[in-house]
Amino acid sequence: MATSVTTPKLTTTFYKRLPITVPLSSHFLSLQNTLTPFSHNCCSLLYFQCQRRHVAARAKSDNGAELPSHYDFDLFTVGAGSGGVRASRFAANFGASVAICELPFSTISSETTGGVGGTCVLRGCVPKKLLVYASKFSHEFDESNGFGWKYGTEPQHDWSTLIANKNAELQRLTGIYKNILINAGITLIEGRGKIVDPHTVDVDGKLYSARHILISVGGRPFIPDIPGSEYAIDSDAALDLPSKPEKIAIVGGGYIALEFAGIFSGLTSEVHVFIRQKKVLRGFDEDIRDFVAERMSLRGIEFHTEESPQAILKSTDGSLSVKTNKGTVDGFSHVMFATGRRPNTKNLGLEKVGVKMTKNGAIEVDEYSGTAVPSIWAVGDVTDRINLTPVALMEGGALAKTLFQAEPTKPDYSAVPSAVFSQPPIGQVGLSEEQAIQEYGDIDVFTANFRPLKATLSGLPDRIFMKLVLCAKTNKVLGLHMCGEDAPEIVQGFAVAVKAGLTKADFDATVGVHPTAAEEFVTLRTPTRKIRKSPPSEGMTGPEVKAAAGV
Amino acid sequence: MARKMLNDGELSQPNQEEQTHFDFDLFVIGAGSGGVRAARFSANFGAKVGICELPFHPISSEVIGGVGGTCVIRGCVPKKILVYGASFGGELEDARSYGWEVHEKIDFDWKKLLQKKTDEILRLNGIYKRLLSNAGVKLYEGEGKIVGPNEVEVTQLDGTKLSYSAKHILIATGSRAQRAPIPGQELAITSDEALSLEELPKRAVVLGGGYIAVEFASIWRGMGSTVDLLFRKELPLRGFDDEMRAVVARNLEGRGINLHPRTTIKELIKSEEGVKVITDHGEEIVADVVLFATGRAPNTKRLNLKAVGVEVDQTGAVKVDENSRTNVPSIWAVGDVTNRMNLTPVALMEGTCFAKTVFGGQPCKPDYRDVPCAVFCIPPLSVVGLSEEQAIEQGKGDILVFTSSFNPMRNTISGRQEKTVMKLVVDAETEKVLGASMCGPEAPEIMQGIAVALKCGATKAQFDSTVGIHPSSAEEFVTMRSVTRRVAAASSNPKTNL
Repeated sequence: MATSVTTPKLTTTFYKRLPITVPLSSHFLSLQNTLTPFSHNCCSLLYFQCQRRHVAARAKSDNGAELPSHYDFDLFTVGAGSGGVRASRFAANFGASVAICELPFSTISSETTGGVGGTCVLRGCVPKKLLVYASKFSHEFDESNGFGWKYGTEPQHDWSTLIANKNAELQRLTGIYKNILINAGITLIEGRGKIVDPHTVDVDGKLYSARHILISVGGRPFIPDIPGSEYAIDSDAALDLPSKPEKIAIVGGGYIALEFAGIFSGLTSEVHVFIRQKKVLRGFDEDIRDFVAERMSLRGIEFHTEESPQAILKSTDGSLSVKTNKGTVDGFSHVMFATGRRPNTKNLGLEKVGVKMTKNGAIEVDEYSGTAVPSIWAVGDVTDRINLTPVALMEGGALAKTLFQAEPTKPDYSAVPSAVFSQPPIGQVGLSEEQAIQEYGDIDVFTANFRPLKATLSGLPDRIFMKLVLCAKTNKVLGLHMCGEDAPEIVQGFAVAVKAGLTKADFDATVGVHPTAAEEFVTLRTPTRKIRKSPPSEGMTGPEVKAAAGV
Repeated sequence: MARKMLNDGELSQPNQEEQTHFDFDLFVIGAGSGGVRAARFSANFGAKVGICELPFHPISSEVIGGVGGTCVIRGCVPKKILVYGASFGGELEDARSYGWEVHEKIDFDWKKLLQKKTDEILRLNGIYKRLLSNAGVKLYEGEGKIVGPNEVEVTQLDGTKLSYSAKHILIATGSRAQRAPIPGQELAITSDEALSLEELPKRAVVLGGGYIAVEFASIWRGMGSTVDLLFRKELPLRGFDDEMRAVVARNLEGRGINLHPRTTIKELIKSEEGVKVITDHGEEIVADVVLFATGRAPNTKRLNLKAVGVEVDQTGAVKVDENSRTNVPSIWAVGDVTNRMNLTPVALMEGTCFAKTVFGGQPCKPDYRDVPCAVFCIPPLSVVGLSEEQAIEQGKGDILVFTSSFNPMRNTISGRQEKTVMKLVVDAETEKVLGASMCGPEAPEIMQGIAVALKCGATKAQFDSTVGIHPSSAEEFVTMRSVTRRVAAASSNPKTNL
């Protein structure tokens, strides 16, 4: 039967490069039935490739039932956030007909509200960073005093001005995103998309058929169910509060918790952070975890470590108390939970169509972002891989190439840099010291902990911490970490260097930009410590002895 | 010692016996960035090192200087401190849109900043002295002079003269700001004085289009002064990428600096209202301060170089070979006095290479390729590698230019109309990134990492494969997808004379 395929060469190539989850036989069997009826105007090469995969899927799921001869769209994307918009735009640029659905705009997300732009633009990166900018000014006022600036009265912050300006900006951005979609020729449908079958999406009762369906519905904050949790807010609400918290409890030690702690502290709220563990930012480099917590404490944020809230109580004056395993802390105007996010996979019809999910509700995907159902794909936070906007963009871009440009492309998750916009902020790329030890055994660590020029003048206790983690054998830079002013901006360029696999010698060969903080990364001369998995025993010979002698 | 003196064999000094005893293995004249680095590293390699430096003062002359040199006392450090101070002016404007109610009455206390700046450079001056003594380097205060290929004379403050012999002499006396020969030039100041003014000028005129000129224009403007910037060419910052020069000019203007391109000063006249500046266009500008940022000259006049036979070029810069050696084999020179690439980190590199070559048994040459640098105007400019013009001129092949001009997120709320501009110049054939430039907040910090990538020959594909850090400005460098233009390498490209 397979011999009836008219383009055998193409098939082989395709098969080699794209992992296909369905059995070979059904894949080819179904093909001959379905080649002719298609009348789409896609470039034939891409078209055939795409066809095979979903055709195979159809054959599998429908068990040989009559196949539709025509789809409304080549791609239907559910969710117009970073990943969905990127995949749709690129797909459209490659010639595919694309539709995308998204919930109506609201700053607070729910089962029925969302907005074009998604978490990043409406409830994440963008509004968060705008609030970070706003909150940083109080530190800048303090700094400026040291540089001779004096204010008639202490600058006061007006919360409503900030929130109004922020929301105006979000409206502008959601409009821009809509225009981007429209200009790319994508059909934008407002409403809640639900998967009906492997090629059909239901948006508020209206059915759309598509050759491929992309799920990019993202994630949403999750508040654990403890007594009084109804009094708590999540990050969505925290970005759009009607008034500034006087005293806020933030529960969680992840990046969102730290970012909001910095925001509210900078806007002069009293901030308490409750973390279950001993340290903040699990998964980050240990030195960075210690350093950032120390710096934030110095700016007046109170950390309650190994202290988990068990209940939130509302007193008669309206203030909130947090009852923990260690006691009760009173007098909060707000309690915010930054205790993780969950993929938005409920009520999407996924179970019914056979899309597999993890126990957290994340869609399981292969390296090409393919789900268990061959015509259904997923990118971004809903897959809970690396939940970052630029990663969702990478996944979306790769998928568009795979599906519509005959270029099967896997997103590459190595050396993905990231930032925490705490105050001071963190930037990092590559492995933490602990990960590097696990993976490489023998590593060299270079660190710098210094007071930047600005701080010597401002008199504020600001410091900067930097760290390079090297493979002892190859001298390759495995990880680069920084906590201090401008860390996210500084790390980006170094991420290119780390991604390119450069060595410490390459860093050393680079001349510094003077006077900057970043130049410290190319002027680290003496290792802080050399870690060797096994101390050299006496019987060692040859290269091992040599390596040890270098210590 | 012999083991470390690897260059012994090469030193053909017929007059000296092998066993000649020298007071020092190395005597360094000038304790700035290059001299201190060379002295310390040489001492670390086991050499016996002496160094001399003029007494400390913020304003340099033939007879005053200070340990730390230009960078610490009259350059990078105090300049950056003032730039920080000036940047708050713009910050305050931006703060209001972010909801901060800043009282109309804001005072800027120049004297306080100046005092703190002086405290800081004194502190650094002390640190540098300690660095030297901790390395075992003997420091002499006084004016150094070369009296023979292996003989240095130091005139101390009280006039007494010390004489020392040294196997190697290193000249690291740096350079000094020059005044343009214009009638009334004595009414103008140089960057030395500009960093130590008693009062903040209400009206300042800056002559020059180089980095020092634009930096001081930005400093004073940020502190609220009226600033007029006069320069000879169409755009400031000759030698930088033309497109970026235009961006800087636009930003300076956007921040309220009055630009006078193709303009120079004919005469300065003292008047009751201040210094009257007469331009070559016949314009008159009255100013409290006129800064000449018209170049710097190497400090070689009083070193007695001619007598010992050390060659200098017509600008007075000491001529050296790739190893920083002069035509007199026992005499070497690093830093601004050689007028190669006048940057602190380059002087450090030259000083390190000198020490490694002469005392470390690791001969090495400073590598001037892909040296990044920054101009701390507000907002700053930073570059590494080739400008578009240089890449075209090299004519090795077609080049691809990628540019990104965007409104930084911070400006969306502050309403500041100032685009950040980034640019990558890529070899069309090899895909190697030949040059990167950026003008916008944090550009110098952002460029450092990009410089590592560039130095190691990173390709555009490697930039593209790097995931962005979101939301940042820097991520634009790894998300430039479409080519802005392709430029043929044809050497027939008309040269601009901006």
